[in-house]
Amino acid sequence: MAGFAPRVQYLAGFRCPLGGLAAGKPRVLCHGAEIFVSTGSELVYVYDQDGRLLTAVYRFPGRVWHLELSTPRRALYALCAQKGIYCLSLDQASRSVSQGAGDDRDADEDDSEDSEDGEPPCPVSPVDPDACILPDATLCAFVVLDDMLITLAQGPAQWKVQLFGCPCPGEDARPPGQIGEVELSTSSPPAGSLGEPAAPHFLPVLCCASPPGCSGPRDRLRRSGGFVLERALFGLLFGVDASLLESPVVLCGLPDGQLCCVVLKTLVTSRLAPGDPKALVKILHHLEEPVVFIGALRTESPDMEDTHPDCLVALGHCGRVLAVRASWDEAGAVAPELQEYRLPGPVLCAACGGDGRVYHSTASGLCVVDLARGGAPPDPGQPDGGPGSLPSLLCPASLGVCSVVALSVLSEVPAGGTRLLALSARGRLMTCSLDLSSAVPCPPQGPVENTGQKIKELLSGIGTVSERVSSLKKAVDQRNQALACLNEAMNVSCVLLASREGPRPISCTVTTAWSRAQLRDVLTATCRVQNGSGFSLGRGWTWCVQVLTGSRASDPDPAGSATTYTIPVDRLGPGEQREVTLTLGPSDDGTLDLPVTVACALHYSLREVLGRALASSDSLEDPSLDGCPPDMLPEQEGICLPLSDHAVDMLQCLRFPGLASPPAQAPSLLGPTGDPVDTFLGACLGPRSEPAGPASLRAKFLPPSVATIKVSAALLKAALGAGQPGDGDPPGRSRAPAGCGDPSGEPLSGQPVPGTPCCRGASAEDGCGARCPELQPTRPPCPVSPPDPGQPRDTAAGGADAAGPAEHRRPSELVRHGRAAAAGVPAAAQPQPPPGVTPPPGGPSRCRDPVPDPGRRWVGGGAGGFGTGLLWGRGGVPGGGGVPSASFPGTEMVSVPCGPAWPETPHTAPFPPAAARWPRCTWLRWASPPWSTGAGPATSPAPGIGV
Amino acid sequence: MQKRTDRTPLGWGPRRGRAYPSAGPSGGPGPALSHQTPLSSSGPHASCLDLWREKNDQLVRQAKVAQDSRQFLRRQQLAQDALEGFRELLHSLQGLPPAVPVLPLELTVTCNFITVKASLAQGFTEDQAQDIQQGLERVLETQEQLGPRQECGLRGLWDSVLHYSSVLLELLPALHHLAGLQAALWLSTDCLGDLTLLLQTLNGNQSEASEDLLHLLKTWSPPAEESDGPLTLQDARGLKDVLLTASAYRQGLQELITGSLPKALSSLQEAASGLCPRPVLVQVYTALGTCLRKMGSPQRALLYLVAALKGGSPWGPPLLEASRLYRQLGNTAAELESLELLVDALSVTHSSEVPQLFIEVELLLPQPDPASPLYCGTQSQAKYLLASRCLQIGRAVDAAEHYLDLLALLLDDSEPKFSPPPCPPGPCMPEVFLEAAAALIQAGRAQDALTVCEELLSRTSSLLPKMPLLWEDARKGTKESLHCPSWVSAIYMLQGRAWVQLGAPKEAISEFSRCLELLFRATPKDKEQGPASNCEQRCMSDVALQQLRVAALISRGLQWVASGQDTKALQDFLLSVQMCPGNRDASFHLLQTLRRMDRRDEAIALWWRLEAQAKLPQENAARSLPLYLETYLSWICSPDRETLLEEFQTSLLEPCDP
Repeated sequence: MAGFAPRVQYLAGFRCPLGGLAAGKPRVLCHGAEIFVSTGSELVYVYDQDGRLLTAVYRFPGRVWHLELSTPRRALYALCAQKGIYCLSLDQASRSVSQGAGDDRDADEDDSEDSEDGEPPCPVSPVDPDACILPDATLCAFVVLDDMLITLAQGPAQWKVQLFGCPCPGEDARPPGQIGEVELSTSSPPAGSLGEPAAPHFLPVLCCASPPGCSGPRDRLRRSGGFVLERALFGLLFGVDASLLESPVVLCGLPDGQLCCVVLKTLVTSRLAPGDPKALVKILHHLEEPVVFIGALRTESPDMEDTHPDCLVALGHCGRVLAVRASWDEAGAVAPELQEYRLPGPVLCAACGGDGRVYHSTASGLCVVDLARGGAPPDPGQPDGGPGSLPSLLCPASLGVCSVVALSVLSEVPAGGTRLLALSARGRLMTCSLDLSSAVPCPPQGPVENTGQKIKELLSGIGTVSERVSSLKKAVDQRNQALACLNEAMNVSCVLLASREGPRPISCTVTTAWSRAQLRDVLTATCRVQNGSGFSLGRGWTWCVQVLTGSRASDPDPAGSATTYTIPVDRLGPGEQREVTLTLGPSDDGTLDLPVTVACALHYSLREVLGRALASSDSLEDPSLDGCPPDMLPEQEGICLPLSDHAVDMLQCLRFPGLASPPAQAPSLLGPTGDPVDTFLGACLGPRSEPAGPASLRAKFLPPSVATIKVSAALLKAALGAGQPGDGDPPGRSRAPAGCGDPSGEPLSGQPVPGTPCCRGASAEDGCGARCPELQPTRPPCPVSPPDPGQPRDTAAGGADAAGPAEHRRPSELVRHGRAAAAGVPAAAQPQPPPGVTPPPGGPSRCRDPVPDPGRRWVGGGAGGFGTGLLWGRGGVPGGGGVPSASFPGTEMVSVPCGPAWPETPHTAPFPPAAARWPRCTWLRWASPPWSTGAGPATSPAPGIGV
Repeated sequence: MQKRTDRTPLGWGPRRGRAYPSAGPSGGPGPALSHQTPLSSSGPHASCLDLWREKNDQLVRQAKVAQDSRQFLRRQQLAQDALEGFRELLHSLQGLPPAVPVLPLELTVTCNFITVKASLAQGFTEDQAQDIQQGLERVLETQEQLGPRQECGLRGLWDSVLHYSSVLLELLPALHHLAGLQAALWLSTDCLGDLTLLLQTLNGNQSEASEDLLHLLKTWSPPAEESDGPLTLQDARGLKDVLLTASAYRQGLQELITGSLPKALSSLQEAASGLCPRPVLVQVYTALGTCLRKMGSPQRALLYLVAALKGGSPWGPPLLEASRLYRQLGNTAAELESLELLVDALSVTHSSEVPQLFIEVELLLPQPDPASPLYCGTQSQAKYLLASRCLQIGRAVDAAEHYLDLLALLLDDSEPKFSPPPCPPGPCMPEVFLEAAAALIQAGRAQDALTVCEELLSRTSSLLPKMPLLWEDARKGTKESLHCPSWVSAIYMLQGRAWVQLGAPKEAISEFSRCLELLFRATPKDKEQGPASNCEQRCMSDVALQQLRVAALISRGLQWVASGQDTKALQDFLLSVQMCPGNRDASFHLLQTLRRMDRRDEAIALWWRLEAQAKLPQENAARSLPLYLETYLSWICSPDRETLLEEFQTSLLEPCDP
């Protein structure tokens, strides 16, 4: 407020812990030119105001909780946490320091604030443990009054006030004579127990009140934490006995909010005459929040007879203020006048100044309230000039000094101002000079035009507050929303993660299909996510589809490329599904890099959900409610739940141009039911007849089956037809299919790869499957998918049919191993041969189906064909000799369509340079199956086949 | 070897894996494993248990060094360090799952810890009960018996533990030690029922079921601790002796208060014959003296009191008891002398005695409350007792001196030490002032009495109403201000009396008038008032208020008589008789005035009434008035009242006879 222009002068800085000094324990005291500062640590600093330098630093054996000066004795008393009370004689202390610190003085004379950072420039003099005058681990507060020491100890169930004759420093080490003791009955017992209390959050407050006329001048009392109260108030508060005895009274403000008093002269001692708490302790008030300050001030202008404070003030931590003063009722009887106020809290520290002012420091700044003039102007209706009552409302005026944790009123300067000594939370010692005489802290005394201004200010203040309230409310709503979202996300995650086996409640299926768009045939994948769980996917969820192309989808081959599509799942309720169609290829240059892995995952973005909620917490908030700042959340923070991986391989994309189907049909080349491999395997595993005889034994003891599908190279070649194979294929763009050396001299592969053939199921020498007698059924294979002429077949099948039997006899074979226990395949222990297919007992026998079945698409190995092997292995030992598998000495083969558009366009994929000529449909390329676990074909040199 | 065979059924072996899951047989060496092989002192595995034990022994030795230290502060610090050490050791022991071989050490450390803690804190608290409970639960954990019994509290725990102790023989000494501490705790918190049951279980003779605590304690024989066991600060046998003395003393004191004197006598004699520190012995002898005095054998009581006084400090209780004894014997001189001695004895500052670092008898004794015969109060309380006794028995000069001493003691703060006032067991402070003034008037020192009254007025003036007070309004105020008028009017009355003594009737009459003005604003119709606080009752009862009014009226009437204004005197006397018809003094003064004014018929009527009243039983003894008022009333009653009445009879009634 205007009028308060404190002149702040920094004196010195002290080390303070990270996060600043805590309120409650630091102290600043002033004695003459010396300022004693305790920051709550073990160190106590002595600062000389005249010389403006630090003259001494004492290190006490424990954290200093309280500091008191006894001026008549020139002694400094310090309460060390869980140690006891130590006493230092100031005379001795200054002597010893001046000897020791003489050298350092020059060094820090120029700038005493150097001490802020490092060790203090003064030598730290440790306090002798023998300086302990009262060892007691349970002490929480004390006050020194003349030659008495009043302590407050924390018992297991109650507080205990003890009164000692104050031993002088340097006296012989005798126990201080205990004069009296009484237990304070508290409603809630203090936490902790003997010797092991955790450092209490709030310390009790002790101070002494004396009646006027009691021995000792006012200054003395005031300096040692006490004050003199006006007679009437004193008698009212503490009783007629106390005022008759003129006994000092100790006031205790407890952390539970009690404000009680003990008349010192009635404290009795000895085990033979213990004090009765009921008679000795009087509870004055209950603040219902921890008492942080007790003081007294004068609310009336001092008259001749009584200049003593006439109002007792107690402050609670949360800002509750109690003011008591004596007044006379209409009958003339003395009665206490109690007034409670609310100030903005939390109150860190406070001090009473002259003229009825209470200075108190909150987190937002140092404020002053005026109990004397804060109220209404003197009522003209009270002609007798009787005591004015306390103001009904206090309006704190800010002084613009922040985060003061210890406060002490230095002196009243003659001009009417006040000097405050303050210690900030950052450890800075400063004096604030307030010129209060010109200040008009409260509205009622301002002129009328000021009132309008004042009202405007107040209104704008109200506006600010309501704005703030609404923003806070919004923030709370957002947090609640975020919490609800998080809860949903947790549920979804749990559901997904818990169902490792069996169908997942949220599943993703991928189907591929050819379609024609913009005069090009494009392979599209349709991904469908289905929410079968009971929870809905809401805000924050993203559906990620990653399309991995390249030879190796399983490991990040630089050759491959990955594209990630993210589809925000706006709201996917239970039972709902969503689908998206992606183009897999071919690319503009006409290449189609197969296989392609389509990986689906759900991603939950914490940032999206929490970011807003966290960002809404503003910096003005109470630091105690520190939320997680938004930048603590990394950008990618989120939950990723993989749903499924789907590989689109060559076979799923085969199309035979020869089987030229009407273009309209082309897109449905490979419908969901049209995956030939799946159909084949399904047929293999389908009929679940109970295996008998050796089959049952195999079922028991043999590893999972591997199926081999062979496509004869010759067939392919023939199928691919007219053009010169590989004519237009530049070398190096197709990878040589490993192990596809063609003994017949037919150069399928320009450079046969030596070593282990990758197609383990199909020997390179004799044509795939030739040496796998078990793989060959004795009979022509049963229809894998029973042909149903009436049923419209997919294009491939139709194409094959249309291609006619002639092509079926191509020697070339495509070999495909069965997928044992694949995800999409019924988990049979081993694939059963199809009914009618009985594995031969031994011996190679080739069976060629002489009668091409128009419905049969899968063909067994052709005679003498040197097939190029394709193999998918999953789980089982691919190509192992003993693997029971179905082999199809094919009379039919898969038709490999030559794409009408893209075979002319060259591949860009880095094929081994050794690759020579390939059929035109070079886009067929085999790579390690995406689901391979690293064993088997995936680890072998990557075979590729270009057909 | 017996132990080994006993242990097997307990299944320590099989449980090892459970208790130390990390310590498999192939587990690496580590301190946690050491106690698995406690009996083998060789090898690295035994070292940790040994280390703990060594630590315990060292702490016990440190505590004993602290005990012997002459320097209080040093001692206190050493003792606190030892306490911290025990606490840490206990923490590390209890950080591991309980195991039977470690438990004896653990329980011993618990006992030592509790002992130091209780002696440092000078008493048992809930803390120690928790420590004991934790120890017991640890024992039960090894037996997998924790859980269902937890709600039974400590008693249930002890039952279960002692039930199993028959199979846990190696735990017995430590358990008995802990039981001793538990007994001490229960004794000091007056849980005698629990204590009796515990002792019965410990003695194992539930069938006999002796209820006598002393008997049970005597028959309790804690097993001797092994010589190679861990050191203890105070063993179970030492504890037993302390318990025996303390419980005998407590019991005797209790019986003394309730009045079963022969029992008290035997219990106290039991306590006196036991292990007894000197200060306790003094108290026991004093209690014996009290008991014998009440039993009517003052000579034997005196013998005990003399023995108690020979025992040294504290001298207070025996001296106070001696004064009571002499008072009962009617030996006023000796009574006052012992009270004077008492004042002197209490003025000696107690060099606060250095408490021992183990459980002492004092620790287990109840805090004496004002009702206890051993409560001797403080010096100022003794001084007040002496002064008021002097005033009561008419030694006004002495009383005045003592009161002045007392006021000086209370108000003079040049003395470095504070002297507590007689409050709360005595009268409240204003009454002490009033009594002092009355004593001074009685002793003929009217001027001093005026000074005392002035002082009292000046010190309380701020609390006095500024305007004339209406009683009803005052009742809304604080209770103190409610009774301000009663003692303020008493001040005025005493001041008037002092003026009378100084020969200033005008001042006297004006003081009496002020007194009456204050008093008659207070109508004695506050009967409906709720339960008054102690202070109110002490300050002024209704009867006392009435008497105060009567006294003030009579005093003013007497002043009117002295100044020859019989009509005014008659008015006052009439009022006083109306106020309190049973007051013979008022009637007598009225009678005299009537006679002097020659109003014969009224006088005769009054006389008849007086006669009739005299035949009724006197009720004066029942009323309890403040001492100053009693004293004042004695001033306004003519000593030769009865002879004067006789004289009336002859002079007034004679003419009627014929």
